[in-house]
Amino acid sequence: MDMNEIKEIFFQECEEQLAELESGLLKLNDGDRDPETVNAVFRAVHSIKGGAGAFGLDDLVSFAHVFETTLDCVRSNKLEPTQDVLKVMLKSADVLADLVSASRDGSGVDESRSRGLVKELEALAHGEMPSSSAHEAPKPAAKAAPAPKAAPAPAPAAKAETPKPTDDSGFQPIPFSFDGFGEDEEPAIEGSVYEVSFKPRRELYSKGNEAALLLRDLSRLGEMSINCDTDALPALDKMDPEASYFSWKISIRTTKSEDDIRAVFEFAEWDCDLEVKLAEEASSNEELPMVPVPFDLSILDDSSASDEDEKAVQSSADETVAAAVSAAETATSVTKAASRASEKKESAAAAAAAAAQNNAAAAAAAAGQTIRVDLDRVDRLINLVGELVINQAMLSQSVIENDATGTSAVNMGLEELQQLTREIQDSVMAIRAQPVKPVFQRMSRIVREVADMVGKSIRLVTEGENTEVDKTVIDKLAEPLTHMIRNAVDHGIETPEKREAAGKNPEGTIKLTAKHRSGRILIELQDDGAGINRERVRQKAVDNDIIAADANLSDDEIDNLIFMAGFSTADKISDISGRGVGMDVVKRSIQALGGRISISSRPGHGSTFTMSLPLTLAVLDGMVVTVAGQTLVVPLTAIVETLQPEASAIHSFGANQRLISIRNSFCPLVDVGRVLNYRSTQANPVEGVALLVESEGGGQRALMVDAIQGQRQVVIKSLEANYTHVPGIAAATILGDGRVALILDVDAVVAASRGQSMKPEMSLAATG
Amino acid sequence: MAAKKAGPASVKLAAVLDLNEASNLHGKLVSMRGSDIVIDASGVERVGVQCAQVLVAGVKAWEDDKKSFLVEKASDAFQKTMQLIGINHENLVAKEI
Repeated sequence: MDMNEIKEIFFQECEEQLAELESGLLKLNDGDRDPETVNAVFRAVHSIKGGAGAFGLDDLVSFAHVFETTLDCVRSNKLEPTQDVLKVMLKSADVLADLVSASRDGSGVDESRSRGLVKELEALAHGEMPSSSAHEAPKPAAKAAPAPKAAPAPAPAAKAETPKPTDDSGFQPIPFSFDGFGEDEEPAIEGSVYEVSFKPRRELYSKGNEAALLLRDLSRLGEMSINCDTDALPALDKMDPEASYFSWKISIRTTKSEDDIRAVFEFAEWDCDLEVKLAEEASSNEELPMVPVPFDLSILDDSSASDEDEKAVQSSADETVAAAVSAAETATSVTKAASRASEKKESAAAAAAAAAQNNAAAAAAAAGQTIRVDLDRVDRLINLVGELVINQAMLSQSVIENDATGTSAVNMGLEELQQLTREIQDSVMAIRAQPVKPVFQRMSRIVREVADMVGKSIRLVTEGENTEVDKTVIDKLAEPLTHMIRNAVDHGIETPEKREAAGKNPEGTIKLTAKHRSGRILIELQDDGAGINRERVRQKAVDNDIIAADANLSDDEIDNLIFMAGFSTADKISDISGRGVGMDVVKRSIQALGGRISISSRPGHGSTFTMSLPLTLAVLDGMVVTVAGQTLVVPLTAIVETLQPEASAIHSFGANQRLISIRNSFCPLVDVGRVLNYRSTQANPVEGVALLVESEGGGQRALMVDAIQGQRQVVIKSLEANYTHVPGIAAATILGDGRVALILDVDAVVAASRGQSMKPEMSLAATG
Repeated sequence: MAAKKAGPASVKLAAVLDLNEASNLHGKLVSMRGSDIVIDASGVERVGVQCAQVLVAGVKAWEDDKKSFLVEKASDAFQKTMQLIGINHENLVAKEI
């Protein structure tokens, strides 16, 4: 593995850390004060800094260092994470993300912005509150600064020094020799005595850290004596050689601060119990037999670095640090992967079979093995599996044609093949399934930035961010979602003054929700703004010749006008106090994903955009049906039941509507052939089959088709990519006999049947 | 009691006594219980705490067995690390009962 590959892995890990950082900061912003959340945030920045230092990414290191120092103040309760403080931190997280991107792609960053934030962060670390909140946070920042008798130069002075960005590797300085005490001037002269209690846990060692090296580094801070507590050590035959039994009480006289002492353990902090305090006058440790630590430990350095040059020692230390960071991060991602895996019920059966013989400990160890795989390879596998599914269907079909009884050995073998193909496919799909969380997190940045730009105060609330969906869907979702979020912030939510005048909270709320519904993912974007100004939308539509001046439109229809192409040609966007900026583009993007988008709006209360997307773009379970001589596929997830209508159950309603009576309730009957313009007159329901479907709106419809051919898994081929979007049709597929069949967009057909008539050009009679 | 007559067994410690070596060393010591033992620490360049734990447990086990556990020719790195982590070097070097 060459350096570039390692660097690439570092950047991938940075992305994970940035996501952790943002989600942690948002939790804090929501009032979460769990120390573990603060730790997670700190860890994220710290890990980025550590890795960046190893690659010599100085800009990134410097910024991360300042950021980390301020976060450390929060962590040690010296800085209260108020909303204003968090605002600075969230912005800093954005800049950190930019710096990571810049380091990766060589792109530029807004230097004035990052310089500004460095100043703000440093000010926070010095205890200066952001100006806007000065009145609400009069508490001095350094409230927890110890004021030891023995150390007349206490922590505040040390704190004032720490925020300085380091100019080289970026790590907290850990001196390598004791010669330079005088030069490396700290305010205290004689130094203070600290008592350190250090009890490593097993994880400390398993992550590649070594207690002896930590103690060595600690010994370099001053004059140290140590007592090793071996009481926990079991008998030789009962011990686990890889467990941790020793713990230490250390007494160290040093001119350094408590922070410097803690810095020695910073990469192992979460894997040990560490206590650092100034020694009391009557030290409890005096009772323990303390062994003075040899002053010259250079021999220990020599053994860990082949080159005796101090620089080499430093670089080796850096590598160790990077390795430790990477190990820690791997452990984190492993944990995440393990938790994701446990949620995945579709792969649970296969996993359970494989793991059945292992005990829990072995399973946990197995879960610790993850690999990073290039997405292209997974895509290739998915394509191949798609072809395999088609091929298997073709094979099945030709065998069935030649073996009417279905009892031959070939036929039996084929059934097994079908089963296996299915399992392979499920497993491959599970590889691609990802939570929508990263996309949602990106949105919070957009909300922050746009809100800042337009001078609004807006909170983004997310729900269901762990809902999983195919990675392709996630990737393509970001763009339309960004567009919509921008719109919601810019046009949806009112200015604080207007909101106050309307009796609302001056802070607006945008809610982003993801959930699974009937085999699809439903994403809702809700704002509590003013809602759509229908008068104006209608007027715009008339002005732009989208509708006739006397058109009789329902509220829903007016709202949905904003998705019409041409609507966004409005001369000045901000004239429309609702929305309407390029929503046709959004709609097209969603449609290209095989999805739908709709809007509902309540004047004064806000608008809700609902997007429904397929979970995967690769395959679906479908019912193959015949309509007017054409073969269509209806997604199985939409079908509730199928029934053979009887003449007595069919009732006419209005001019050309029909209802079917199912178990004492009436359900509108929709002739698919008619809606798709396959035929000019409605077919006789009694001669066909009714598929009871549930649309996303929740209502049920009975779709009339001529006959059911069977159920089958089909590989989805995009119609948009290969032909063009066709209303009423979601995609196409290749059947076992090699023919192309269209996959029905059930909701679009249902919507069309409700009178939202489809345009004449959607007629498929000619294309089928 | 053939082991007694065969004289002390000896173990040469690896140069790097890290986490990976801890299990090896543990296995070796466990298999040598019952006889006097001489530990050759002359080639040790690096000692991790986990190997030190195994050695200390070994000393205790040999004490219990009333056998001798002798660490000889300890390298500078070995001695200094033991001192650094607060293990009384004397206890390891010569413990003959």
